[in-house]
Amino acid sequence: MKIKLIFLIFIAFYVALVVRLFFLQVLYSPSNKSVYLKTNKLNPIRGRIYDQKDQSLVLNQNSYQLYVEPKKVKDKDKLLHLLSESLKVEEASISPKLDMSKDWVAIASGLTQEQKEKLDKLNLKEIGFDYQTKRFYPEASLSAHILGFLGKDSEGEDVGYLGLEGFYNRDLRGLPGFVETERDIAGRPILIGVQQRVEAENGRDLILTIDKNIQEISKRRLLEGLEKYKAKKGCIITADPKTMAILSLVCLPDYDLEKYYLFNENFYKNLAISDLYEPGSVFKPLIVAAALEEKKIKPSDTFNETGQISVGEYNIKTWNDKYEGKISMTRILEKSSNVGMVYIGEKLGNKKIYNYLEKYGFGQNTGIDLEGEASGYLKPQNNWYPIDYATVTFGQGIAVTPIQMIRAFASIINGGDLMKPYIVQKIVSNNKTTEIKPKVERKIISRSTSDIIRKMLVSTVENAEAKWDRPKGFSIGGKTGTAQVPIKGFYDASKTIASFIGFAPASDPKFLTFVVIYEPQTSIWGSETAAPLFFEIAKDLIVYYNISPTQ
Amino acid sequence: MKNIFIKTTGLIMTGLIIANLFVVISGIVISDEINNFEKKTDSLHKVNLTLEKEVANLGSLKFAQEQAKEFGFTNSTAPQYIDQLKYAYVK
Repeated sequence: MKIKLIFLIFIAFYVALVVRLFFLQVLYSPSNKSVYLKTNKLNPIRGRIYDQKDQSLVLNQNSYQLYVEPKKVKDKDKLLHLLSESLKVEEASISPKLDMSKDWVAIASGLTQEQKEKLDKLNLKEIGFDYQTKRFYPEASLSAHILGFLGKDSEGEDVGYLGLEGFYNRDLRGLPGFVETERDIAGRPILIGVQQRVEAENGRDLILTIDKNIQEISKRRLLEGLEKYKAKKGCIITADPKTMAILSLVCLPDYDLEKYYLFNENFYKNLAISDLYEPGSVFKPLIVAAALEEKKIKPSDTFNETGQISVGEYNIKTWNDKYEGKISMTRILEKSSNVGMVYIGEKLGNKKIYNYLEKYGFGQNTGIDLEGEASGYLKPQNNWYPIDYATVTFGQGIAVTPIQMIRAFASIINGGDLMKPYIVQKIVSNNKTTEIKPKVERKIISRSTSDIIRKMLVSTVENAEAKWDRPKGFSIGGKTGTAQVPIKGFYDASKTIASFIGFAPASDPKFLTFVVIYEPQTSIWGSETAAPLFFEIAKDLIVYYNISPTQ
Repeated sequence: MKNIFIKTTGLIMTGLIIANLFVVISGIVISDEINNFEKKTDSLHKVNLTLEKEVANLGSLKFAQEQAKEFGFTNSTAPQYIDQLKYAYVK
């Protein structure tokens, strides 16, 4: 009898348990699964960025977001004082964030491990930390414009802006995963419950064509140059002319990548790819190369430079208004004769001039793998007046970006191939490495024409009117440029953009460097500002590349 | 017969209870281990990032410049460029 009673009680408990479970799990199952099911997002690690020698330019670093649970705060003033002291931030800037009506408020983000440990020692119950990662730049802002920065989108998610962070955001960010586990009341996983894990796919690493040593040389020299010539801003691009792999790209002023939010948006602009300007005389070799290719001129042909020439209502003169009489085509480049260039333009013909401008890629994006490139503007041919065909031969009346200019110039010295400039040479994921090969866009001139123009450019450096402190024993080719800045439809003679584009060694160029200086004040001329700066860089690069003298 | 049934049932029940306790305790132990491993993995990941940062710092040009400055390289030994290297090859 007793056993039956115990059995019945047991059955009753069992039924009650089943009914209760039915209510809990079927009729009133909790809509909030987080009560028992813990789902954690597995954040991917953002891809890192290295230079061509696998030296790190961008890494990830531990970071913490400090939060306060105001409901647990007992002494607000004391807390403010402690936080202010530890974070080295004024109490007045923390106080407005500490809204006592909320359950959770974020106080500061981007805290380092050391800052967190310091706060941990205070044993404050009302504060906590959320783990995050942030970008870390071992070389500080050495390559600010190339790298771009990591900001937030409207939903608070990390997103890359500008430069490589913007262009390769999809590759760098990776794909988040998640882990879903049923947990007991103590938070331990229930082994027979749901256990689902989808691994995050980390972002891909980028290996660049940039050499951080050349980057450092360029930045140091540019900074010295801007100070010496009292210029407003400037850029230096160095590339391998055969492949258009960018070896360094520096523009100043730049900004601090870690504190990008403290800078005006104007500082973010990468002048090398997004600033349009009139190139001036550095443009001349492009037209000469086109005329040579079309067999309209030979280097030894002569032109009688007698004085100013008129095109419609405009007068065109040389930069110093001096004329040498009979001069060769090479001499036209050496003395940078605008009058001589108009003659070469006439020989080439208007249609061919326009065709070559299109072939060189002006008015189109170069396709460089950086966010923020401007395409420039090449007005339709039916809007061109005779004066436009005349002035374009010496680089005025056309707007180009420095990257377009160096790409076009590379094509005339590398054997005639217009290459697509690029900065990333490898994209590395966990199980795959994708190599990015140099890409020939089109053939512009023949190898023999390219050999001729290279020699003419060496002669231009050696017989230029300005004498530079060149590295002796090395054959270097190049061309100066001084472009006036158009302001409200007129040229301001006191404001120029001085430039020099040069390469070495001339027989088999290892590097091509383009120096652009905006509004130098010590001299308006490219030959007195950008050119000396180029030769300083060339000296450094000759030593760096261990190039032997040939002369 | 009835006694044998009761004793067998009792033994089976006791056995099941012991097995159940064992499974539950093992589950808790393993769960704790999983928790610990998760924490250790997180911690290793953080240490890894910190070490990566230190290695990068030691290999950086910024660090090299600081060291050069500290040791006075920039004060006493300004680089001299050899302009006419060809003389080095003249026999």
